[in-house]
Amino acid sequence: MQQAIVECKNLTHYYGKRCIYENLNFEIPQGRILGLLGKNGTGKTTTINILNGYLKPRSGECLMFGESSANLSSETKRKVGLLIEGHIQYSFMNISEIEKFYSAFYPKWRKDAYYELMKLLKIDPKQKISRMSCGQRSQVALGLILAQDPELLILDDFSMGLDPGYRMLFVDYLSEYAKAENKTVFVTSHIIQDMERLIDDCLIMDYGRIVMQKPVTDLLESFKRFKFNCENPEAINEISDIYNPVTIKGNTEVYSLLAKEDLESLMRKNNVMTNEIQEESLSLEEAFIGLTGKY
Amino acid sequence: MTSALLFKEWKKTKWFAIGAFAVGLALLTYIFLKLGRSFRMVGLEHLWDVIVNRDQFLFRDVKYFPLATGFCLALAQFVPEMIQKRIKLSLHLPLSNRKIVFSMLGFGLLALLSIFVLHLIVILTFSVFYFPMEIIESMVYTLLPWYVAGLTAYAFTSWICLEPTWKRRIFNALLMFASLQLCFLSDFPAAYSLVVSVVLLIPLYVLPFGYFSVQRFKVGIQD
Repeated sequence: MQQAIVECKNLTHYYGKRCIYENLNFEIPQGRILGLLGKNGTGKTTTINILNGYLKPRSGECLMFGESSANLSSETKRKVGLLIEGHIQYSFMNISEIEKFYSAFYPKWRKDAYYELMKLLKIDPKQKISRMSCGQRSQVALGLILAQDPELLILDDFSMGLDPGYRMLFVDYLSEYAKAENKTVFVTSHIIQDMERLIDDCLIMDYGRIVMQKPVTDLLESFKRFKFNCENPEAINEISDIYNPVTIKGNTEVYSLLAKEDLESLMRKNNVMTNEIQEESLSLEEAFIGLTGKY
Repeated sequence: MTSALLFKEWKKTKWFAIGAFAVGLALLTYIFLKLGRSFRMVGLEHLWDVIVNRDQFLFRDVKYFPLATGFCLALAQFVPEMIQKRIKLSLHLPLSNRKIVFSMLGFGLLALLSIFVLHLIVILTFSVFYFPMEIIESMVYTLLPWYVAGLTAYAFTSWICLEPTWKRRIFNALLMFASLQLCFLSDFPAAYSLVVSVVLLIPLYVLPFGYFSVQRFKVGIQD
């Protein structure tokens, strides 16, 4: 078992009376890329804020490199590369000033890694970040994190506001870097296609709870969509182990971790009348919808 | 690392600081021209009568300049930090939060003091040519509370900007207005001569409160 870089234990948080989640537990082992997937408002940014010590949870604790995230030492902060939602950076600086600024704080600073990415932007080094597009800003933010050479990268909604080209560039660069350098990454995004190409493990959240926590390959191997015609679809709602059943004009669609044969016998046991069940493999996005529902 | 932090503050406030200094110089030039005109038109004897017997203060036009400068410098420095919660970037730098916040506040205070000291030097250099030491001393005691008001406005405005909740911001703003009143109780020359050191304590006392608001931001207190 690899050493856990991040450990969240029994995290519970409320905004006023609204429960975001209760007893959230997860770990990120060294060298793994964990994606936190969830719809808007399920607590992705809340988790990132707690992890970085910008929010005190109602109860529970987060540890980064064994240190409480509420009081991170300078040494631990140096090991963590943080991308804030919206690729926020010091927009009053230009790309060469911001590189000089950050280089003073990180002894392992890799100027070449930053400028390699900046070359792709084809912009004047004197151009201010405030005058850049969202895509260009995302590359500046990523370049700064790569140059920092952190052991853990925390990226909050990195795909926000990016067009497909920039999203792909971001994912390719990040995934290549993380795998080559054995970096640990914790990432959130609401664009699930991007995550499928990037992450090793996924943690899928719905309102107030975790619905699934697995390696992506395990999830996609075991979680399937089943389609069939059904005479009494209302009976399906009573069956556990089935996620989000939907029936439109007699065509029923369910999601489950069960094998096809097990599902068939479960249906028979519960007196659900079906014709032949068709099994379909899923993309991560479809699995996400299957677990959390369309609405 | 501290010099990099100071560089960041300078980048944010450079044009404002240069602009404030230039506006201050322009204001002083206007006052000197006005005084020169008075010297020529009404004569030095009359001016002496105005200063000594009627207790008039010749640099009254300077009164609200330090206040406006302190207020605007704090806005220029801390509004960009609070927009989109950009202060998270600063707090993530590998330094203690205390050092980060006090470096920012220290920079602002130093920038403000530099502008104010240069202005006072210009005023005093002009004055030593025309006025005796007693009048210059009285001038300093009249001007100092106004410049302290500038430092107080900076300390309070930075605290207001760094505070994460509107309710407290409004409370802090009311405290600021009340505290600033203490610097403008009287225009009478040298009225503050006995209490100027007490007034000077106000900004020094208020300045660290910004750090406590950052700590409130850190634990996630918000509206």
